[in-house]
Amino acid sequence: MEDIEKHETVYSVSDITGIIKQLVASAPELNGVWIKGEISNLTYHSSGHIYFSLKDEGAVIQAAFFKYSNKNLDFRLEEGMSVVVFGGVTVFEKRGQYQFIVYKMRKEGLGELLQRIEKLKEKLYKEGLFDPRRKKPLPQLPRRIGIVTSPTGAAIRDIIKVAMRRFPNLEIVIAPAKVQGEGAAESIVAGIQELNKPVWGIDVIIAGRGGGSFEDLMAFNEEKVVRAFAASKLPIISAVGHQIDSPLSDLAADVAATTPSAAAELAVPVKDDIQNTIEQIIGKMTKRMMMVLQTFNNRIALALQYRAFQNPMSMLEQHELALSDIENRISLSIHKRLYDARESLNRIKDLHLLVKNRLQNYKHVFMMNASKVEHLSPVAVLKRGYSITLKGNTSVASVQGIRQGDEVKVIVYDGSMNCEVQSTSNEVNFGKKS
Amino acid sequence: MEKKAKKPTFEEALEELETIAQKLESGELTLDESIQYYEKGVALAKFCHQKLEEAERKIEILQKQPDGSIQKKSIKVKEDTGEIEDDEDVQGSLL
Repeated sequence: MEDIEKHETVYSVSDITGIIKQLVASAPELNGVWIKGEISNLTYHSSGHIYFSLKDEGAVIQAAFFKYSNKNLDFRLEEGMSVVVFGGVTVFEKRGQYQFIVYKMRKEGLGELLQRIEKLKEKLYKEGLFDPRRKKPLPQLPRRIGIVTSPTGAAIRDIIKVAMRRFPNLEIVIAPAKVQGEGAAESIVAGIQELNKPVWGIDVIIAGRGGGSFEDLMAFNEEKVVRAFAASKLPIISAVGHQIDSPLSDLAADVAATTPSAAAELAVPVKDDIQNTIEQIIGKMTKRMMMVLQTFNNRIALALQYRAFQNPMSMLEQHELALSDIENRISLSIHKRLYDARESLNRIKDLHLLVKNRLQNYKHVFMMNASKVEHLSPVAVLKRGYSITLKGNTSVASVQGIRQGDEVKVIVYDGSMNCEVQSTSNEVNFGKKS
Repeated sequence: MEKKAKKPTFEEALEELETIAQKLESGELTLDESIQYYEKGVALAKFCHQKLEEAERKIEILQKQPDGSIQKKSIKVKEDTGEIEDDEDVQGSLL
């Protein structure tokens, strides 16, 4: 008893309870765990909290399922119901009790279900069913989309609404299917297979349903359904409303969407966007085309200047007019719907011809004028036997002012001669000696 | 530009249109080539435009017939909600 006497520190009840609470709170095996049991002493409290005991053959534990945690519960608890709960143990100091605080609850059986899904997932993964390389791209412009879902559910409404808004002239073919309960899997498989038949002319399939409880979505975890998604020859979108746990169909589909509306957005482009894109490209091309023509025009103008054609050539002016007329027509056409096809096409064909003709005409004019210039040039005259006489830097056109003994330079076609004037005369004699 | 025997798909046409626009933009073409590309571009844009208008607004549902065959049936939906009109009588499954 001496040992006992040595421990003189005296704790309060609160101290000890506090220590217990701390120990419990810090034990990993008591927190964030799933436990399985049967419900008894069930109380749905007016505050929204649910209190019950969870028991098995050997033990019982008090449990509290608070309002903020149980608000998403999609079934009603009953005495004797077997459930699996997720949560942690906490100590209620005032009553010296410990309690299991429940965050999530599933009906028992789901645990096994989850395991089965996990196993199936692994098996199909090994088979390569989820291989990203198997995934087909969605068509950019589907003309007809196929939908596998219930004709009365929220999913079909959402898909139709979204798809028609994005692309008003769209064709939709619905393969009605049961999406939950007995026979749902077979019904979904039949729908996917039917829409894959070429006779319906479908471009892309959306298969799914609106959100629901884990069990409601089970059909999309069934092996035959998952396989039907993977086997679809047509691109297929899995459109099962869910937040956390993706159904296996998401993995097998070419594309997965978290809601049917999102699936419709993935499948159907916004028509106006595509039209704008095309319009932009054509607008850019037309601008560029005008630049090319303008550059071409400038080059010709420059060439004419360079050649120093002095005479205003009415012919050229006419061509100038023709060109600006073409340009005007092109710039006008920008404001119209450019790609409005046949018209533009013909216009451009005309343009092509005109430009070609114009080029030919220019060539012709160049040739003509080039020879004219040559005729006017003194070189041609000299070639014919005439000569030019210079005194200093001035050409000599008259005998006036020329004296005997002056030095002059006589230029002929292929050279020049320095001469001294022997005499001058006012007579002009060709071919005779003076 | 070579002519394709087969009609291009919408995707191919749009892609070619983009390529042509880029080539024209590059400024490395002769006048003749520029005009040719421009012409081709206009034709492609027209083709894409036609494709966009090709489909006609239509909603159909597949229904199993007494003889076991599957036929499609046109249905009306409410414009605002996308809901199938009440008076439409449709089966819920192809099975």
